[in-house]
Amino acid sequence: MGSNTVDKALTMLRSLPRVCLKNIRDNPGSKITQKRGRGQHGGDKHGAGNKGSGQRQNYMRLGYETGNRPFYLRFGFEPYYKGHHLRRQYPPVSLLQLQTMVDTNRVDVSKPIDLVTLCNTGLYRIFPDQHQFGINLTDEGADIFQAKVNIEVQWASELVIAAVERAGGVITTAYYDMHSLQCMINPQKFFERGIPIPRRMVPPTDAADYYADAAKRGYLADPEKVSEERLVLAQKYGYNLPVIENDPDYPMLTERKDPRQIFFGLNPGWVVNLKDKVILKPLEEELLQYYNS
Amino acid sequence: MLSNILPKLKTSNYFKPFCTAITSEGNSKIEPRALQFPPKYQKPRQVWLENLDTIDERKLSLLDLHPDIFASNPRIDIIFQNVRWQSLYRFVSFAHTKVRSEVRGGGRKPWPQKGLGRARHGSIRSPLFKGGGVAHGPRSPTPHFYMLPFYTRILGLTSMLSVKLAQDDLHVVDNLEIPTDEPEFIQELVKTRNWGPSVLFINEVDIMPRNITIATDEIKHMNLMPVYGLNVYSMLKHDTLVLTKTAVDVIESKLLTHLHRNVFYNKLGKYKVDQV
Repeated sequence: MGSNTVDKALTMLRSLPRVCLKNIRDNPGSKITQKRGRGQHGGDKHGAGNKGSGQRQNYMRLGYETGNRPFYLRFGFEPYYKGHHLRRQYPPVSLLQLQTMVDTNRVDVSKPIDLVTLCNTGLYRIFPDQHQFGINLTDEGADIFQAKVNIEVQWASELVIAAVERAGGVITTAYYDMHSLQCMINPQKFFERGIPIPRRMVPPTDAADYYADAAKRGYLADPEKVSEERLVLAQKYGYNLPVIENDPDYPMLTERKDPRQIFFGLNPGWVVNLKDKVILKPLEEELLQYYNS
Repeated sequence: MLSNILPKLKTSNYFKPFCTAITSEGNSKIEPRALQFPPKYQKPRQVWLENLDTIDERKLSLLDLHPDIFASNPRIDIIFQNVRWQSLYRFVSFAHTKVRSEVRGGGRKPWPQKGLGRARHGSIRSPLFKGGGVAHGPRSPTPHFYMLPFYTRILGLTSMLSVKLAQDDLHVVDNLEIPTDEPEFIQELVKTRNWGPSVLFINEVDIMPRNITIATDEIKHMNLMPVYGLNVYSMLKHDTLVLTKTAVDVIESKLLTHLHRNVFYNKLGKYKVDQV
């Protein structure tokens, strides 16, 4: 709606009678009044149609082909999709989207970026109860990615890792279990529950290899090997690896979470009280041992 | 070049009727309003800041109003939807009729099924009978509660405020202090200033100044309302809307917050009775 139209409408209102309860109405035809039909259920057949097996709901059993050998019995069982509904999903964010978020000030690159940061922008959502386990950073926009970030994602391809590192940033892939993710998708809601921050669980066996792999920048990999792999990747893709040791943001770029930690700056076992703006830390030896293990 | 001219212009009385605050007592000048989320394509609307402590109007200064709130598209249909929602969400219909089983009697078959040449009937209280039950009649209590979508409610408020401003029915005063608690004063004031007979005063807090509270107590068509109670129905019901300057600030900041939300998926979902 152009403001010109709005101005015209407002100017016209000046010479019209006062808008009051008597002279307002909805747009004509915008409301459909429900009719009451005749008969027991409003004269309706409940979408089942008229006559035949449709109306009587006496269908043949599923897959039955009136005497043929049914399709589902013609071939042997080949379970390609076994356990498919249980696999971990990683809803994607592209490098282009990330760059846009940085350019539009949705994301602050002077601090480490993780799942919490992206969820707080309101532009990215995950549903851990639907087996979604975090961000898959995809390579769309890899050639124009410029932001120097310290980002932690849950899945990243080799090209994405190269794009981030070429821009002078660092990338880590980290695993969060379902309960940790539930805390991260809405931290305010979690803190309002007033329960201690849980410890992050170690990855399951089928994900352990990925997150211990230096080539994948796994959070459980040896840092020495990671810096070696950074060089290898730079040579493979043919770019000069920026030396982050000389970077003024070196402390930010090397900030990492503990494998048991969920939020930056907050340890497991702590309770964040948003109302009084205090953090409660456990003192008992037993608790400390539990949360540090 | 321009900077050479500007100081001269400021001192000349060219701008005087527009930009100086005319304060007879010589008290401090009223600062111009800084708009949140400055509008890019529309000019701010302007309104006089008036006083309420004399019967005759004194203009204290000119105020800028945000065009997204006070010059938005005047959607009469959205205003209507808001009014309909406001009257329906608390309406419970107690209209009630009895069905055939609730009407007294009618347990016996009135005459045999066959052999009399009469139509077959099983009860004298069937809906076909005079004095029988009613089929599909109204049943009490029928709640008509529903929730208007969040942004339809926001748009209703901005539309209504825009309509009121466009029709010169919106006035901004510095505060609601009046010198006396006699009702005659406020009645005379409203008459002199050509404010409609019915006036809605909006204050920023719900503790109103004493004098205006007592003065309007007996006048049924002049009402006081805190800013959190501002609604489309009341604005329509009263001819004139009088806001305090602080109330304008609160209304603008609240509505602009909602119009510029980053995260609004939690506002768009279906209304749940236990939602916060």
